[in-house]
Amino acid sequence: MKRELYQYYIIDRAHHANRVECREPLAASYAALGLHARERMTRRFEFLCRAETPHMHPSEQIVLVRTVKQQPDIFTAEEWETLRRTHFIHEHGYVSNLSPDYGAAIQSGLLAVRARADGYGRRMIDALIGLCDRYRAEAERLGRDDVAAVLTQVPRYGARNFREALQMFRILHYALWLEGDYHNTVGRFDQYLYPYFRRDMEAGVYTREQALELLEDFFLSFNKDSDLYIGVQQGDNGQSMVLGGRLPDGSEGFNELSELCLLASRNLGLIDPKINLRVSARTPLSIYEKGTELTRVGLGFPQYSNDDVVIEGLTRLGYDYEDAVNYVVAACWEFIIPGVGNDVANIGAVNFPALTDRAIRRCLTQGGGTFPELLQAVQAEIRRECDRITGSIQDVWFVPSPFMDLLRDGKKYNNFGLHGSGIACAADALAAVERYVYQEKRVTPERLLHALDTDYADDPELLHLLRFEAPKMGTGNDRADALGGMLLDWFADALEGKRNCLGGVWRAGTGTAMYYLWHARELGATADGRRAGEPFGTNFSPSLFAQVPGPLTDVISFTKQNLIRAINGGPLTLEFAAGVFQNPESIRKVAMLVRYFIQRGGHQLQLNAVNLEAMREAQKHPERYRQLVVRIWGWSAYFVELDRDFQNHVMARQEYTV
Amino acid sequence: MKGLVFDIKEFALNDGAGIRTTVFLKGCPLRCIWCHNPEGLSPHREVYVRESRCTHCGLCLRPCTHPECQGLGRCLHICPQNLVSAAGVEWESAALARRLLEQSDVYESTGGGVTLSGGEPLQQAEFCVGLLERLRGRVHRTLETSGYAAPGVFRQVVSQCDFVYMDLKLADRAAHIEYTGVPNDRILENAVWLRRSGKPHCFRTPLIPGITDSEENLRAIARIAGDSPTELLPYNPLAPAKYPNVGRRFSDRIRPG
Repeated sequence: MKRELYQYYIIDRAHHANRVECREPLAASYAALGLHARERMTRRFEFLCRAETPHMHPSEQIVLVRTVKQQPDIFTAEEWETLRRTHFIHEHGYVSNLSPDYGAAIQSGLLAVRARADGYGRRMIDALIGLCDRYRAEAERLGRDDVAAVLTQVPRYGARNFREALQMFRILHYALWLEGDYHNTVGRFDQYLYPYFRRDMEAGVYTREQALELLEDFFLSFNKDSDLYIGVQQGDNGQSMVLGGRLPDGSEGFNELSELCLLASRNLGLIDPKINLRVSARTPLSIYEKGTELTRVGLGFPQYSNDDVVIEGLTRLGYDYEDAVNYVVAACWEFIIPGVGNDVANIGAVNFPALTDRAIRRCLTQGGGTFPELLQAVQAEIRRECDRITGSIQDVWFVPSPFMDLLRDGKKYNNFGLHGSGIACAADALAAVERYVYQEKRVTPERLLHALDTDYADDPELLHLLRFEAPKMGTGNDRADALGGMLLDWFADALEGKRNCLGGVWRAGTGTAMYYLWHARELGATADGRRAGEPFGTNFSPSLFAQVPGPLTDVISFTKQNLIRAINGGPLTLEFAAGVFQNPESIRKVAMLVRYFIQRGGHQLQLNAVNLEAMREAQKHPERYRQLVVRIWGWSAYFVELDRDFQNHVMARQEYTV
Repeated sequence: MKGLVFDIKEFALNDGAGIRTTVFLKGCPLRCIWCHNPEGLSPHREVYVRESRCTHCGLCLRPCTHPECQGLGRCLHICPQNLVSAAGVEWESAALARRLLEQSDVYESTGGGVTLSGGEPLQQAEFCVGLLERLRGRVHRTLETSGYAAPGVFRQVVSQCDFVYMDLKLADRAAHIEYTGVPNDRILENAVWLRRSGKPHCFRTPLIPGITDSEENLRAIARIAGDSPTELLPYNPLAPAKYPNVGRRFSDRIRPG
């Protein structure tokens, strides 16, 4: 690693000194001119390209850094209000969580893309080439002939070698952010960049060390402007890179470049790009071991996904096999298709604990009936909620994205995905009610209802029973695990056959995103012994107070359900104390555990190496822990830059020690 | 046959090859001053309170009628933080074998298995034999022992195992009495037998600063171990952590670093 680059961009953030404010009232002037959205997007892109000033660090090989801090909106507040009234606007309204076809543009160059583009696309390409030309001029002025030579070739023409390909990627990715798209993913980087890498390596252009250094320089570029990107918290920016996995011809895609990417991520220890490793039951242990070496660093990646389950699940949803086999992950874990996908993988979320709670309270208030009747009520709640959500999401409208459109070959898939938050919490509530109210009759409906209404304030014994002693998903209790599976099945059933307003299907998933806090905040005490407002577990994981006997039981519990039908994405998370990764032997054992999860048919797994002590200290002395990285849900962040409730949630998760 | 178990740890990383689960049997005749499992010492079920997080709300001190709480002085079913538990769960060997065999596929596919540790498992030799017989041929079985047991008992249990980790802590008899509370004659006798038994094994020495880590002791232990495999275990600086939880005091004779 080039120490001075790391120092400049990461430690000192010295490039922030080149940043300028931008308060141009673009929206007002566009509105006054009565411009339509595509024209506005094009004009703003042209404006921002002009407003950028080239800067480069003397030793960096991959250039382009943002200097304009703000990205003025293209609509006024009133216009947004009208848009939101007349359309369903997803999040910020700009396209997000897409994976463009970088490979084609890197190969052909932008002039070739321009030849096929419409007027807006051509103007955007011209503006971008203009900015890159100014970068080239700056490089010449600084005597950086190497940079100037690269920029003579790209982005106009296709890349001829590894360095040009990396620089071209950087230009394209930079342009997507500049356009205003967000959660811009990286896709199967080790596949589309591999031909350039292999050619240069075979020609002896680089030693492995030199190639690694170049790659690290490139990886660093994901972290230069990321504080300017939008997200729930800093770090939530969708720069997900996918490595390995099955190729369309059935062979394994993990190559020398994949390995070098794992190494670069390990060496840099930065939160971007977020590494995802595609594996399957056939993946050799050595690849898991390489992945675990990265886990050890404590960034919370790689995240693993199981090709056997994901490809099958996607084809069942209607994806063509040749697309499904090419899947990547969106910002966090949602499975999407690069180049041809237009899915909105996170358009809504189902709050499982709330639905279950409603059914439990209603049934118990009405005298209870039988447990199967209660389950029917839960199923009906899920169906009703899915009907409500899918019915309410009509007339979805996105701000046009002329540049993103240049990097896509149509919009073949227009499917919508729903998260499912708190599945374990909901399953636990059902398991507890079944055992104590219906079977053992140890707890009367009145007592439980009273406790739920009063947040267990005057019934500590019941709280203890339900919270710590009741059957829980993830603790090896077959019934609780099966109830979780049932919830997922009903979720998938409720969405099956439904069409969204773009003609696509609906996908059920196991992700929570921020809903483990948001959904939980609105929800009172629940029958699993969770008190009012307490968060759910993250994604497809045990509740925060489940007494999980260990990671084996956890893995077994969360691979019993049929995930093929709930394949929108959302991993089981395992937290390990950092000390677990002390030697090659224990690294190997963790790798075996991951392989076991995959071989059991688990769909997605994410491991953390956590240092609880460091987190406690960091809360007290944030200034000393600026580089401490933790995993949040589908992304990682600098601990000290998180809000307190996110910090506390990370610290409360189940942790496996040596 | 029933046994008293104070912990079952999945994915134990330091107790043998592959992915393993370690069963910790309660009760130990030794009193090594560096012991990091104080809840494994007494052969009786006892109350275990994670003191460091206790807010002393007093709920657990209220009298209760749960049969399982009687004699412990605390109620096990009320702590809002779940800090109060009982160290020591009675297991039928058949039930414990079933529990362990549920995960036999992962043990097998990773070259792992089950490890019996403690406390001193040989204190519950009959239970161990019953359990190990049920696991025979289905999972790899490892024993971790101090070797402090009557030779007959030692041989009986060892013969039911596939691998044995045996401690050699101190070679000097007087030092052994001073720091572990018992003489080492039986241990040395069992070590000799183990070496000749043909049973795959490894001798382990915990490196306790100023006590076992002297060159003299390590050299003497190497002589006892002969050509058998040996391992040195680093001192666990967290050893004192659990003592307050069972109302014990950690020795002030250990000065790490």
